[in-house]
Amino acid sequence: MSINSKNDILSNVKRHIKVQYDMPDLDIAAIQYPDKLEKFTQMCKAVGGDAMVVKEGEDINALMRSLYPDAKVIASNLPEIDIATVNPDKVEDAHSLNGTDLAIIQGEVGVAENACVWIPQNVKEKVVYFISEYLVILLDKNKIVHNMHEAYDQIKFNDYGFGVFISGPSKTADIEQSLVVGAHGAKGVIVLLR
Amino acid sequence: MSTKHTEAANRFIANKEQETWHNETLWFVREKRDKMAMDVPEWEELRELSSKIKMHTITHLDKYAEEFTRNAEANGVIVHWAKDATEHNEIVYSILSRHEAQKLVKSKSMLTEECHMNPYLIEKGIDVVESDLGERILQLMDEPPSHIVMPAIHLKRQEVGKLFEEKLHTEKDNSDPTYLTRAARQHLRNEFLTADVGMTGCNFAVADTGDVVVCTNEGNADMGTSLPKIHIVSMGLEKLIPNHKSLAVYSRLLARSATGQPVTSYMSHFRKPREGGEMHIIIVDNGRSDILGNDEHIQTLKCIRCGACMNTCPVYRRSGGYSYTYFIPGPIGINLGMLKNPEEYYDNVSACSLCYSCNNVCPAKIDLADQIYRWRQNLNSLGKADTMKKIMSGGMKFLFTHPALYKAGLKMAPIINHMPRFLIYNGLNDWGKGRELPKFAPESFTSMWKKGKVQKKNE
Repeated sequence: MSINSKNDILSNVKRHIKVQYDMPDLDIAAIQYPDKLEKFTQMCKAVGGDAMVVKEGEDINALMRSLYPDAKVIASNLPEIDIATVNPDKVEDAHSLNGTDLAIIQGEVGVAENACVWIPQNVKEKVVYFISEYLVILLDKNKIVHNMHEAYDQIKFNDYGFGVFISGPSKTADIEQSLVVGAHGAKGVIVLLR
Repeated sequence: MSTKHTEAANRFIANKEQETWHNETLWFVREKRDKMAMDVPEWEELRELSSKIKMHTITHLDKYAEEFTRNAEANGVIVHWAKDATEHNEIVYSILSRHEAQKLVKSKSMLTEECHMNPYLIEKGIDVVESDLGERILQLMDEPPSHIVMPAIHLKRQEVGKLFEEKLHTEKDNSDPTYLTRAARQHLRNEFLTADVGMTGCNFAVADTGDVVVCTNEGNADMGTSLPKIHIVSMGLEKLIPNHKSLAVYSRLLARSATGQPVTSYMSHFRKPREGGEMHIIIVDNGRSDILGNDEHIQTLKCIRCGACMNTCPVYRRSGGYSYTYFIPGPIGINLGMLKNPEEYYDNVSACSLCYSCNNVCPAKIDLADQIYRWRQNLNSLGKADTMKKIMSGGMKFLFTHPALYKAGLKMAPIINHMPRFLIYNGLNDWGKGRELPKFAPESFTSMWKKGKVQKKNE
């Protein structure tokens, strides 16, 4: 198979390149917001999700219970989440996470301009981020940056070698451009800031 | 002066209501894009950077391709190289057969369309399941996409409702988009759960980390790669970018340009295979390395497949994706088709009014309209120039180079205003088809000027 193709393609590339262009300077003065937290919250709503600040001393488990009273299967590997019924680190197989009502996960960086939250894979079965009906992302409110340039300067990967920016719930407009939330992934996403 | 494009467009516009809906809906997407762009003060700077990053990368493509491969391999990924569509398809099939895979669930990829991969694999007995909602609808209808980002934009909800009634046993006459999307969610959830291999395209391939970045709103690429243990990535050679710093630029341009969103719901970075699984990347050339040597059309390699040029194009909006003979429609498709095979796809170069709107919205600043103009200039050498246009151009050249004749003609022109319609709008006047001729002024500007009738307007 492909060692010959690789060489052929690369030599064809080299043969055809004429003028070589320089890399531009990528340090630009990108957008900054007077209040990152406010902009982030506003964008979370704009993309169909939500964001709320947890009050000092507020019990997250009780808050989850009140927000999702009907959730039966709750997946989380976070030690503080007592209401979890399944741990995505301990399941035999990713497929068994089908039927998860609520997943509670940890995010690392929030982006004000577009409501992205960086999730470096931090559970064994990453499917939990996508297969759950509803998703709650915990995020340190001091880890919100203005824009994607700052975000890419900060993000890190774990050993799993996967990371995703999530911005709001799964959505589609493939039928007549009519927006429907909850295509394949979460039907609702709340970012809990603290 | 009819081309395959104009003939097909005639069929599309026969349904006036559908044409109007298509036109207005895509224009609405264009307006959303404008709003997003205006919210970013440095938008034009980003477009300029995007263009420059791509020009740099494609003119150092051998270096970046090798760097990417080295890093991906160090991450435990298996990298394959395919010179053409056939080799790409064979590699996919060899991976599937090595794992005795029966079901392949895939997310949207224009490259697999380009390679005609699905029919090839289905022929071999593989159950290929498209998982993007629009693509799945079209697969169930056995039709190709009509737009690269909004593949089923030409369909009405009633058509989807009828299809789902038959294929997914949904309620009779229920064409509510939410209801239909939920039905598809359930149907495709089952396909994800039973797939042996997941396949994705690639929006960006980051050379210095080996990351493959895939953007979706539905989360279908993630579902398809988080359940099966095997992930195959199909990527065009031109998807390479140097690093995360460059990726930041594109992450701000892609969704804003494509659908007028600040970003897609999911922007996934695949660096390593899943635990106990395999990740394969197939780097496909299929003519791309030849384009590097083509000064007039090299810029097509900057394309990030956002579809903004289609949404803004007055011809695309009013003629639909199926009016073009190449599988990618709109301004970028006209150019890519000509690069693929001018003999086969020359009909599409007529599908342009040279309004240049595409140039102005393209997030990579591709000279789309200039390229279309250049193709047209070269049609004669291909033997594809329109005979009637050539005769008329010849006549006009004669007229314009003989001033006495021109002036006499101009004096006579207003007579046309009073001629009966059948004399003007008939089979002999191609320019009178589908458009009204302007009224000729009773007196020419030259004549008015000479008589001193042209006065400076009082402010």
